[in-house]
Amino acid sequence: MKKIFKLALVAITVSQAVGCASLGVQPWERDLLAKDEMSLNAEGVDLGLDDHIYFSKEATSGGRAFAGGGCGCN
Amino acid sequence: MQLIEHPSSMRFADKTIVKPKPIAASLAVATCALLGAVSPLAQANPDTADEWKFDTAILYYGETDRVSLVEGVVSATKDFGDEHIFNGKVTFDGLTGASATGAVPQDTVQTFSRPSGNGGYAVAAGETPLDDTFKDSRVQLNAQWTQPLATDLRGSTGVHVSKEYDYLSLGVNGSLARDFNQKNTTLSLGLSYQFDSIDPVGGTPERLGSTSVLNSVSDYDLYDDYLDANGSGNADFDAHASQYESREGAQDKDTIDVLFGLTQIINRRTIMQLNYGMSVSDGYLNDPYKLVSVVNNQGTVQDTLFESRPDSRTKHNVYWQTKYAMDSGVVDLSYRFARDDWDIQSHTLESRLRYNLSDNSYIQPHVRYYQQSAAEFYQPFLLSDQPLPTYASADYRLGDMDAYTVGVKYGQKLDNGDAWAVRVEYYQQNPKNAGFAEPGQLAELELYPSIKALIVQFNYQF
Amino acid sequence: MRKHAIREVSIEVRGDHICGRFDAMASPCEVLIDAIDSQQALALTQAIATEAWRIESKYSRYRDDNIMYEINHAQGQAVAIDHETQQLLSLANTCFELSEGRFDVTSGILGQVWQFDGSDTIPSQTMIEACLVCSGWENVQLADDSVRLLPGYAIDLGGIGKEYAVDRCVQLAREMQPTWSVLVNFGGDIGVTRPRQAHPYWQVGIEHPDPARTTQMLVTIAQGGLATSGDAKRFLLKDGVRYGHVLDPQTGYPVKDAPRSVTVAGENCTQAGLLATLAILHGAQAEVFLQEQAVTHWCLW
Repeated sequence: MKKIFKLALVAITVSQAVGCASLGVQPWERDLLAKDEMSLNAEGVDLGLDDHIYFSKEATSGGRAFAGGGCGCN
Repeated sequence: MQLIEHPSSMRFADKTIVKPKPIAASLAVATCALLGAVSPLAQANPDTADEWKFDTAILYYGETDRVSLVEGVVSATKDFGDEHIFNGKVTFDGLTGASATGAVPQDTVQTFSRPSGNGGYAVAAGETPLDDTFKDSRVQLNAQWTQPLATDLRGSTGVHVSKEYDYLSLGVNGSLARDFNQKNTTLSLGLSYQFDSIDPVGGTPERLGSTSVLNSVSDYDLYDDYLDANGSGNADFDAHASQYESREGAQDKDTIDVLFGLTQIINRRTIMQLNYGMSVSDGYLNDPYKLVSVVNNQGTVQDTLFESRPDSRTKHNVYWQTKYAMDSGVVDLSYRFARDDWDIQSHTLESRLRYNLSDNSYIQPHVRYYQQSAAEFYQPFLLSDQPLPTYASADYRLGDMDAYTVGVKYGQKLDNGDAWAVRVEYYQQNPKNAGFAEPGQLAELELYPSIKALIVQFNYQF
Repeated sequence: MRKHAIREVSIEVRGDHICGRFDAMASPCEVLIDAIDSQQALALTQAIATEAWRIESKYSRYRDDNIMYEINHAQGQAVAIDHETQQLLSLANTCFELSEGRFDVTSGILGQVWQFDGSDTIPSQTMIEACLVCSGWENVQLADDSVRLLPGYAIDLGGIGKEYAVDRCVQLAREMQPTWSVLVNFGGDIGVTRPRQAHPYWQVGIEHPDPARTTQMLVTIAQGGLATSGDAKRFLLKDGVRYGHVLDPQTGYPVKDAPRSVTVAGENCTQAGLLATLAILHGAQAEVFLQEQAVTHWCLW
């Protein structure tokens, strides 16, 4: 039994090292996050078009992705 | 499976089929995979992984009395299995219309030479000078490959080429993403290098060089009429044209981007992303078509110069995004803070709220607010009694400004699995005076006109 | 370390079929062969026994010379695994996900603190919690060619191993004698290759899950798999509460109000066994769960 406690201690240390134990979900709790519209890259084409418009009309670009616009519009 | 129960065995459970068997079916598939046998269920559910998926869109962007743009995108993605994913994207756009040059309006007609050096145009009294020669088409190709490199480690690499009449952009990028904490946390690091080359129509203008404005010809509404009346042998104009011949040719710039990302799943409904990005550009950062007016203390234009921007720029930004899954939709909120060594600071707040109208349709309002402060060398005009600065730009895009977008998108999924969507948005930019006194006639003129644009987009996915 | 069973195979001709016997996985094993060629029947039984022993020695947690020992004693290091082990662990992963964490091959450690000997000894909460810290499939890193456990973690494939062996042997029998109907019975976990020639089904006696019955339970099966989970003889009685021996890896306690045993008929033995175990993990809802799965089943409460 002593061995178990020792191992438990090791496991606790490891799980703390990994950190953020309270954040996150178990694999079977990903039902909602797995939806297409919850993906951070959902509507990628729209986001790309918006990036292009704002890149050419405003002084700031990037943030969500690389700042480069690939066009001579700015 | 066939099985006949023996009547003398135990109490029989009710064997009515209540629901489809989610777990039993999945287990049958899983165990058959284990045993190397082909499960009939596995055959019944063909894997869609090896099919190309297409995402297409066509966008119209139109400013009142100014630029209009039509842009088409075809994006194709294929999963080659085991998360080896290729994405190829082709973008076409066609731009026409007039764009603000940066020159100030006057209470008389002004004339400007065209960027090509051939011909000129006149701007009516009180009107913001616009260059109406903007007519360009562009083709861009992107290719991106993403694959796992090790347990919980993904790599992605891509290239892009973009070509328009006077501009060429080439880029490569690479990134690594590492999952931690049962894939609840993802850290990513991306690098990109971009090479841009601009070969301005009529050559590269000299920094703060004079455009040799042919001064106000108030008798003529349009300079083209003036040319018609006087012929092309106008001495003033010929001298002007020869100046263009001495201009330099193509200019280029290099841009390196670094992007650190942290993505964290907060709970079953919430995912959050925090990015830090840095972008360093070196080389020709001017817009060769932008001008700065030099005015006297009456606010009257004495000369019009080509703008001059520094030849390096380092930008930093922090981007935070959160998505929250509601029972009936998704809330998407993001904020970006950016600043650079041109002294521009900006705040961007954006939100999309997807509301599912039914299982296969949704409506999604979108709002965006953007605010920026002026670059340190931004000046709406130069004063003739002051020495010329090294850098000056009157491009309103480098000035104080706020902008907002409001829009709505409606999307529907079809029975065959395809999907379409349409969005309509209104975008308005409100340039502001960054504290410059307006001498003489300029006080009476609109130096900071708002730009109003309509955006309409149609998407189809198959 | 447990003494290895004597590795011996025997066959017996019984009227219209041949019965091969051997011992493996701490159970009496029998192979019923719908044929009369005793030479080939012996060869088949030997091949099946060899396969069963192979799987037993490869995945037994009572040995110190196999892959399980290596995985469980790697002290946090990744251990290279072969295709078969990878497939088994992938199945364990699938079960973990499908069962929303209730089927967990790392929870075997809990079995060491619970003694289901009919007594009233309940382990302390501290002890259970200590075990829970050392278990959790979600902390196992399974890759295509390796697996890594946190130190102190251990995998026990006892909940899959025997059923898997049955299915492998069924597969083997299909390959060796595609025209024969062969029934493989490892201590009550059963698989049949195909329907018989004369009679469509086999009749086998398995140990009755109800210890009150002294007779065997007669099962009739034509094709597919059959498995039983739960053991009516292994329980704890404390303050009038009866604790069955199937433990919930999330609480560390035996599943409350679960049937004493569940028998399920499925497409193969592994699937049947997993459904039976998952049913017990559903406690009082076991029968509802099985009805939803629309599988033939028997519950003993």
